[in-house]
Amino acid sequence: MLTSTLTIYTVLMLITFFSLEKGVELDHHWVEFDDVRYHIQVSMKNPHLLLLSVSLPTPSSETIFVRGLPFGAIEAIKAAYGNLVQILDPPRDGYNLTLKFNLAKLPANPDQKHAFMVKVASIREVVLGAPLRVILQHLAARTVAPDLDPPVALVHRPNECFFLFPQADKVTVVYPMRFNDSIDIVLATSFLQEFVEARRTAGLHNTPPCSWSVTPPLEIKGVPSDALSANAGFVTFVIYPRHVEGHKLDRTVWNLSTFHAYVSYHVKCSEGFMHTRMRRRVESLIQALDRAKPDAENSKKTSFNRSFKRLGLKDSSTN
Amino acid sequence: MDPSPRPAVVIDNGSGYTKMGFAGNVEPCFIIPTVVAVNESFLNQSKNLSKANWLAQHNAGVMADLDFFIGDEALTKSRCSSTYNLNYPVQHGQVENWDAMERYWQQCIFNYLRCDPEDHYFLLTESPLTSPESREYTGEIMFETFNVPGLYIAVNSVLALAAGYTTSKCEMTGVVVDVGDGASHVVPVADGYVIGSSIKSIPIAGKDVTLFVQNLMRERGENIPPDDSFEVARKVKEMYCYTCSDIVKEFNKHDKEPIKYTRHWRGIKPKTGAPYSCDIGYERFLGPEIFFSPEIYGSDFTTPLPVVIDKCIQSAPIDTRRSLYKNIVLSGGSTMFKDFHKRLQRDLKTIVDTRVHLSEARLNGEIKSQPVEVNVVSHPIQRFAVWFGGSVLASTPEFFTACHTKAEYEEHGASICRTNPVFKGMY
Repeated sequence: MLTSTLTIYTVLMLITFFSLEKGVELDHHWVEFDDVRYHIQVSMKNPHLLLLSVSLPTPSSETIFVRGLPFGAIEAIKAAYGNLVQILDPPRDGYNLTLKFNLAKLPANPDQKHAFMVKVASIREVVLGAPLRVILQHLAARTVAPDLDPPVALVHRPNECFFLFPQADKVTVVYPMRFNDSIDIVLATSFLQEFVEARRTAGLHNTPPCSWSVTPPLEIKGVPSDALSANAGFVTFVIYPRHVEGHKLDRTVWNLSTFHAYVSYHVKCSEGFMHTRMRRRVESLIQALDRAKPDAENSKKTSFNRSFKRLGLKDSSTN
Repeated sequence: MDPSPRPAVVIDNGSGYTKMGFAGNVEPCFIIPTVVAVNESFLNQSKNLSKANWLAQHNAGVMADLDFFIGDEALTKSRCSSTYNLNYPVQHGQVENWDAMERYWQQCIFNYLRCDPEDHYFLLTESPLTSPESREYTGEIMFETFNVPGLYIAVNSVLALAAGYTTSKCEMTGVVVDVGDGASHVVPVADGYVIGSSIKSIPIAGKDVTLFVQNLMRERGENIPPDDSFEVARKVKEMYCYTCSDIVKEFNKHDKEPIKYTRHWRGIKPKTGAPYSCDIGYERFLGPEIFFSPEIYGSDFTTPLPVVIDKCIQSAPIDTRRSLYKNIVLSGGSTMFKDFHKRLQRDLKTIVDTRVHLSEARLNGEIKSQPVEVNVVSHPIQRFAVWFGGSVLASTPEFFTACHTKAEYEEHGASICRTNPVFKGMY
């Protein structure tokens, strides 16, 4: 669930295909979970230029944004897309970032082209995950990123953030969990307790240690209390260098930055599951009731085999 | 978070395909088959196990709950392995299996659109013949499971009319000829209100065209593996079928120049992997012909589509008939056959003109009536016209005030979804 690429990426592939064949006017908006918005535009005049604008969730007061972007984002974009992209300044109205892709410069090899489009589609991971990536890269090198005073707050939902406490040999990640609906809160709480419990089973020894508590953990003592108003408790992960080695880094960054979406997806799934169970139960009860009906009525129904009762002359006179 | 500045999510669940996307866009983000592949092997297993394994059973049940696929993925999964059973939750335009439907929506929202349902208003569609109970059920699932802030259940024919709204003129009166995969309706709409008593349904839809094509090819003895033949027939229908103007002439054309009109289909047998090929001949025009001469398909229903439309308009209030004839809108994937609208317009015009001539003859030509204008409108987005109409409607600011909100639901319960305002106007 929740793969790191945009699902709209199939559309993107089509665009690249068509826009190279013939000019296609395209103007598409869409919104993803946690209020990340995208706008994609290709005009008839320059079919090889693709404008992709991204709007990020509103940061809370604790997070540091440099010119509307998380720190390290610009460097991450340059590293990911190289010379095919140009960052437009100022960005499109209402968006944090506008990128101009030159599709004419795409690699000709279909495999490479595909790989690049996947990369474009995972723009969310590149931009929002940038600060997390910087910190975890330092962890892999067993150093602490300079000029960051812990705990570091990173935005993941509008006006909400999670906290990182980087050290040379480990990074502690704390999520205050908030939900709107009262049923969701209960389900999320029990889900998280089960989640922590599941970590202790035999097969998962190498996964990051994780804990859940009602009160804020000690690492984030200094943070103002309004950022800590969580109604479904706090989840803490401890990330060790072995979790961010080599290719594992990408997965870790993505999983950490979408943890809240993961939990809320599972809460909705379990609600759906319960409804299925309830429907099945109601059906079985109705069946039991049907069976308890007197036989006379039953035999009549089967003999007529019609949903409407036909009234003959005799019936109507008795009724 | 206040959801109203975000675009609403528009999902049109058809019997064949589901169209979904965000309001304000011209095209839906996804068009995928409405099908769920459920892994039911766990369910059968748990019956055989003893009670001691309760926990194992329970866990298996939980895993099975998440082990399903929708859309194209479901089709490929069921082809590769036998553990998945295909389930079509929408049949003949009505939701039949609510468990599957709930799962389908869950995947649509979380895996395809990837949005948080709590942040968006939702616009869903229903056929004009949906029962109030199933509308309530939809509301219950949307508000209880997904916690949507607001919901609007629109009638798909009204949306199809609204799709034409932007392209040419502001006309909300017309007849919608909605021929989907599982259901066909002819729905007259006056000023945005459905004339409920005049709705006509036809038991012939896209699926019947597919079955007919499949049957024709089977009878001719084309070399197609039996378990694949329905899919092949569907592809043949979508790619090669067209509407002819006269069936006898078309047969002659095909017989004179078979090379020009015959197409070839190449495929690979799913079991053995061996390639095969077959010819596609008369079924190219005979498939869509079942709408115009249904007697070639079956003896149960023999009224041609133009006659049904004419009857439908004749049963509508007399002051709306002229404007209804003027704006006959096509919607649904099965109206996409080439020249479908031309044939429909010609046949309908013939019926209307004959009637006008008859009445003039009866009056001995003393009174000349104004000619009736018959106009069948077709537009390039016919396939997802309903979705597009929904997208247009949901991007207006009035949409948010017309929705049922979560607060209303909590106050009054699911009964708020029982009635649909578009049915109230006329009677």
